[in-house]
Amino acid sequence: MRAYRLIRPALVALVAALWGAAPGMAADECLRCHEDLGGMIPSLFKRDVHYAHGVTCAGCHGGDPTTNDMAKAMDTSAGFIGIPKGDAISTTCARCHSDTMRMKAFGSSLPLRQWEDLQASVHGKLSGVGAGSAIQCVTCHNAHGILRVQTPASPVSPLNLVKKCASCHSNAAFMRTFNPSLPVDQLDKYRTSVHGALNAKGDSKAAQCVSCHGSHAILRATDAKSRVNPVNLPATCATCHSNAVYMKAYGIPTDQFEKYANSVHGVALLQRHDEAAPACNDCHGNHGAAPPGVTSIANVCGTCHTLNAELFAGSPHKKVFDEQKLPECETCHGNHEVPTAEISMLGVSAETVCSTCHSESDNVRGFAAARTMRSLLDSLIAMEETARNLVDEAEQKGMEIGDAKFSLRNIRQARLETRTLLHAFSESRYRPVVEKGIVQAASVRSEAEEAIHEFYFRRIGLGASTLVITIIAICLWLLIRRIEKKGTLSDAARDG
Amino acid sequence: MKRLVAWFDERIPLQGLVEFLGKKYVPLHRGSVWYYFGGVSLFLFIVQVITGILLLLYYKGSEQLAWESIQFIMSKVRFGWLIRSIHTWAANLFMLTVFIHMFSVFFEKAYRKPRELTWLTGMGMLFLGMGFGFSGYLLPWNELAFFATKVGTDIAGVLPVIGKPLMIFLRGGEDVTGATLSRFFGFHVAVFPGLFTVLLGIHLILVQRQGMSEPPGSDAAPNRRVMPFFPNFLLRDLLLWLLVLNVLAILAVFFPSELGRKADAFASAPAGIRPEWYFLFMFQSLKYIPSQVLFMDGEVLGIMLFGIAGLLWMFVPFWDRKSSRGETNRVVNYIGLFVVLYIVLFTILGWVL
Repeated sequence: MRAYRLIRPALVALVAALWGAAPGMAADECLRCHEDLGGMIPSLFKRDVHYAHGVTCAGCHGGDPTTNDMAKAMDTSAGFIGIPKGDAISTTCARCHSDTMRMKAFGSSLPLRQWEDLQASVHGKLSGVGAGSAIQCVTCHNAHGILRVQTPASPVSPLNLVKKCASCHSNAAFMRTFNPSLPVDQLDKYRTSVHGALNAKGDSKAAQCVSCHGSHAILRATDAKSRVNPVNLPATCATCHSNAVYMKAYGIPTDQFEKYANSVHGVALLQRHDEAAPACNDCHGNHGAAPPGVTSIANVCGTCHTLNAELFAGSPHKKVFDEQKLPECETCHGNHEVPTAEISMLGVSAETVCSTCHSESDNVRGFAAARTMRSLLDSLIAMEETARNLVDEAEQKGMEIGDAKFSLRNIRQARLETRTLLHAFSESRYRPVVEKGIVQAASVRSEAEEAIHEFYFRRIGLGASTLVITIIAICLWLLIRRIEKKGTLSDAARDG
Repeated sequence: MKRLVAWFDERIPLQGLVEFLGKKYVPLHRGSVWYYFGGVSLFLFIVQVITGILLLLYYKGSEQLAWESIQFIMSKVRFGWLIRSIHTWAANLFMLTVFIHMFSVFFEKAYRKPRELTWLTGMGMLFLGMGFGFSGYLLPWNELAFFATKVGTDIAGVLPVIGKPLMIFLRGGEDVTGATLSRFFGFHVAVFPGLFTVLLGIHLILVQRQGMSEPPGSDAAPNRRVMPFFPNFLLRDLLLWLLVLNVLAILAVFFPSELGRKADAFASAPAGIRPEWYFLFMFQSLKYIPSQVLFMDGEVLGIMLFGIAGLLWMFVPFWDRKSSRGETNRVVNYIGLFVVLYIVLFTILGWVL
């Protein structure tokens, strides 16, 4: 490593010599001449990170920087290419940035696949009027005066980046030429988010565009490999939000991902890849990400759980929760850790959710209602199980019981309805649905019992018919014996 | 009673029939037991006709209703399950007894002159029996039947020249659809029974007119023994029929026909598609033939070989001259033995693999 440090200046000089003029060599005649001509470019280039590393104008534009004869310096036979156009811009950058040896010689630790990533990205694939990729390196990094990303003045520094992205993405007329359905209000939303507010205050750690979308390898959110694809999004958010050290300054928990991954939503999305299940952005917003407030939680959950939200809004709980400033859904179900809603949540025993507020001495009406509703649900579940077992038994006995099996769905449907209707917290609305399921279960049970009875009837019937046939067969056999006692005939007897 | 008989006798001369039956004898020899298989096949055919008519009262031969109507028969119609199960089992037993009957006739050389037509009508009924099986398999319109029919008609489609038109004729179009079900239903309940009845009539008349064939040599044996057809042989036949009926009832109760899932043309083919067991030896053989044999497609070659073998087998009375002259023809015996072993072996392979 030490040897490398020693020979590094020599390597830089060598590469720069090969790539154009180097500091200490004869003056860069291109720069000198263009400075004389005036304009912004020479002064911008003198601030450029490339200039600092000895890359001359000729590094990108070609030509001979050692001569002050314009004709010779800008002779195409000397490799002069002028201003690159289209993809030639990025390929010019990639000549060094995708070359391991050159970048190593400059002591760079930058990734070497930036151009390849850009080509494979949504930006690389959207051709701008047939002129190669929709964006080139210079679109974001500028052409002259390129600065390190960490430099505050860089257009792609954490604090400037959102403006750079928005220069296209907030331009409705421009974006329409690529994707008319893509919203153009991302920056506006971002400014309302916690991330955006922190970014505006100068917090370079707060997430901005590339934190979630990536930089060069940006893919459409619908692409399964995209960092913001619903299935990948929780992990993307977790790169910061689960990092206790990184998040220390913000004083918020860092166990959200862990809780979410084990929640009913997380299991559905991350394990079953069910994209109907919510990811972080479905509750918090994406560009406008912020935690939902107490009053808006029911609205957020209600975007999917519409009926539950409607029933809750008309329930006696609504007023009480509002008065006590309890977050509606979250009070019973939690937020990131939302578990599967089990029957054990309902009722009056210690482990139920209802018992948190209701007891025999406190909020007694709710206590009585919870007890009755649990009892009704228990009856339905028991009836369903009995019916299902009987249908299974009949089926195992080989009986055709398709209708009853189909009716099992109706019982299940009634049970699912009770889960929703529970949110009305009204016994009078809950009871009819449970009773509908119980009637169905009774009908299925009776059908299955009949089939099982039929099974045994068939065996008894078979026994009886076999007996009758066997008796007839024996009688027939005795008759044949009696007839044949005379013996079979020989030809002679037959003829005679 | 006598007056009633006399009334009929005056119009239809029954006396002749009674005399004919009275003088009809069944030869007794070491191979007499094989005579019963013709009768059992006839009994099973009668069972098929009766149960088939009963099923027809409820079955609906359309894409939308076929599966549902069978489900209705199995679950709602009183004894519908029994009728359908007996129909299915009797079909299988019928094919088994018909095969046994055919091979017994073959090995006893009962096809030799003057019984060539009896053999030909019998072979015709065997092919029709296979047709009954193939068409009937689709009628429940379940997944397995649907895909097995697809595979079966695909095989017919690979034949050169006639293959494609034949496949389209069988399917009623390019694919197995409701049109295929309709025409299979038509074949199963109208075309095949009509043809079968004609062949069966000729077959039975010939058997009655020519009497039972005896193995070469045994008809000239000293002390040749016979049994009166009526009532001895007929009663024995009846006894066997009763036993077969018992077996059918046991099979129907303990192994009732399954219905499976309704056919869905868009679903992927289920595992374990295979034809009825009596097609299995051909199906399995086709699997073993390489896809290309010399200049020919392997499947086409296989089907053509089976076709040629079937024709040779069918016309054995005309090329086995030796047996017709009463001489022993060992080659025919060896061919028969090879065919039996081949069918048994490949059926087992098709079943277990």
